[in-house]
Amino acid sequence: MMPGWVKSKWRYFVVAALMIFLVLLPFKWFLGQYTSIMIFIGISTMITVGLCLLMGYTGQVSLGQAAYYGLGAYFSAVLSKTYGWNPWLAMVIAAIATGSFAYIIGYPIFRLRGNYLAMATLGIGLIMWVLFNQLSQYTGGPDGMSGIPYLSIGGFAFDTNFKRYFLVWFFCLAILFLSQNIVRSRTGRALRAIHGNEAAAQSLGINVTQFKVKIFVLSSVYASLAGSLFAHHLRHVSPQSFDFLASVKLVVMAVIGGLASVWGAIFGAGTTRLLSDKLLLGFNQFPQLDIIIYGLILMLVMIFTPEGLFIALKSGIKWLQLNWRHLPEIMRTQGKELPHRIKDRLTRLVPARWWRKAEP
Amino acid sequence: MSGTILETKGLTKAFGGLVAVDNVDLAIEPGRITAIIGPNGAGKTSLFNLIAGVYRPTSGDIIFNGRSLKYAPWYAKAIPPKLKQQKLLKVRLERHAPAHKRTALGIARTFQHVNLFGNMSVLENIMTGQHPRSKYGFFAAALRLPKARREEEMINLNAMKYLNMVGLGKHSGKNALSLPLGQQKLLSIARAMATEPKLILLDEPGAGLNALEKRELSDLIKRIREMGITVILVEHDMPLVMGIAEWIIVLDSGRKIAEGTAAQVQKDKKVIAAYLGEETEDA
Repeated sequence: MMPGWVKSKWRYFVVAALMIFLVLLPFKWFLGQYTSIMIFIGISTMITVGLCLLMGYTGQVSLGQAAYYGLGAYFSAVLSKTYGWNPWLAMVIAAIATGSFAYIIGYPIFRLRGNYLAMATLGIGLIMWVLFNQLSQYTGGPDGMSGIPYLSIGGFAFDTNFKRYFLVWFFCLAILFLSQNIVRSRTGRALRAIHGNEAAAQSLGINVTQFKVKIFVLSSVYASLAGSLFAHHLRHVSPQSFDFLASVKLVVMAVIGGLASVWGAIFGAGTTRLLSDKLLLGFNQFPQLDIIIYGLILMLVMIFTPEGLFIALKSGIKWLQLNWRHLPEIMRTQGKELPHRIKDRLTRLVPARWWRKAEP
Repeated sequence: MSGTILETKGLTKAFGGLVAVDNVDLAIEPGRITAIIGPNGAGKTSLFNLIAGVYRPTSGDIIFNGRSLKYAPWYAKAIPPKLKQQKLLKVRLERHAPAHKRTALGIARTFQHVNLFGNMSVLENIMTGQHPRSKYGFFAAALRLPKARREEEMINLNAMKYLNMVGLGKHSGKNALSLPLGQQKLLSIARAMATEPKLILLDEPGAGLNALEKRELSDLIKRIREMGITVILVEHDMPLVMGIAEWIIVLDSGRKIAEGTAAQVQKDKKVIAAYLGEETEDA
């Protein structure tokens, strides 16, 4: 077995390995060809972390997260290009503006619960999308706007993918660490308490509405920062990046990552992005195949591992860690049941009367 | 009056036409175990919800620790007195402290259905109870400021203290809902105790427990009282109530019909009538 100190610190080893991997990745001799897609994965991860906090920990659904992503992107684009502001300042102002917007709509919207909340957030997403399209004297309408300046520090401009990769992942990891700290704190417990039982949470002195609004604001600020980075990365924004499907994709990322897992967000964003950008590139004659696949993934994950794919993998690894010595024995004693168990799960997919003979 | 910890004056709650709590005056003395009993539908749980701040009273006032739980909202001063008198204005000029503020003031409660957090461990459930006794927020949490670490240490220590108080120390890492019902009830009391209240409201703590668990429960309630905390409980199990309650208040269809010690209440004619049924009133 592993020595104790390795076992107790294994988290640090995993994180260190991940860091080294991320630092080396954009170099040509390693996985340089993935730099561009990794930038998008980083941006998506930022939004997904916010969604995990909101949906996984606090239990509040948002189907319009692309609205805040878009707000951040458009604020940055308009302020820095049309008005010639410093892009960093534009980014900060975008985050503050988006956060304030979320704060203002947060109080009325969190009077709603469950499906009604989902509908309301969906509505915000749609409204924003229409605004991005229609306010064409500012946003450039459906064609979007180009020529957004790069971010730069002093004379150092982030003008290549290689440089922007580090910029984006710096932000992404910072957000991940901050969120991880929030989750394991008094605040995180309050959020999970709200998810668990609102009446009980309130009876323990937790101001339920205020916490919901705060976490909503935080997630929208994350999305806004991601949007700003997106705008300064592509130097072009257009409304179709922030439509309803974008919101759905973000939900899929959060679900695959495991809703109640901050680090799972990287996994969720990564698999989803890789799926749509790399694997399905060949299917040009069927441009929205990825959406169909997302729909299927969403359904399958909900049926088989409602806690999220990442969490299921994690607990699977943990189980193996505990039981690998006894694996042959377990296979011998329980191996026969395995096909039945899989069959059991599968039969849940179809109505009982399709596979069970009707009672006479 | 400084002799009471909780007073209600003309407390009334109506749901449409149904008056669940009707003009109830209570005066609860500090450091005592008070039981509220009554037949089903007598308004006991509604009364609890009024005291805990889940419901807003239709009329009446609750005074906790010498302070009314009603207060004027910030905008009340801005409205000229003339407008206030005219009643044309459709804004509420008095507010009742919301449930979470009452917990911070020192009113804790448990629920009839235990309402534990199933997504947390036993210890985390109690740590959540320490919420109103700690302050640090999002910012300190995100950056792990020294303040946050110090408070977190305190929370952990206190949580273990309350966990050991109910004898669940060895189950700290388990999921809260994996415990048997009896222990879940104890855990929910420990969670309420972790808010460090002056007054604790127990809503049917004995429901669903076996005889042994009930004995443990009444021991625990007595220990809570010895800590100087006032206990009010709603309970159907009469032996349990008679065994521990020093003062009993009887409700029937929303009204207080009697109060006194166990012996006094048992002899009261109105109480007997309420429990055993009575002849029609005009007979």
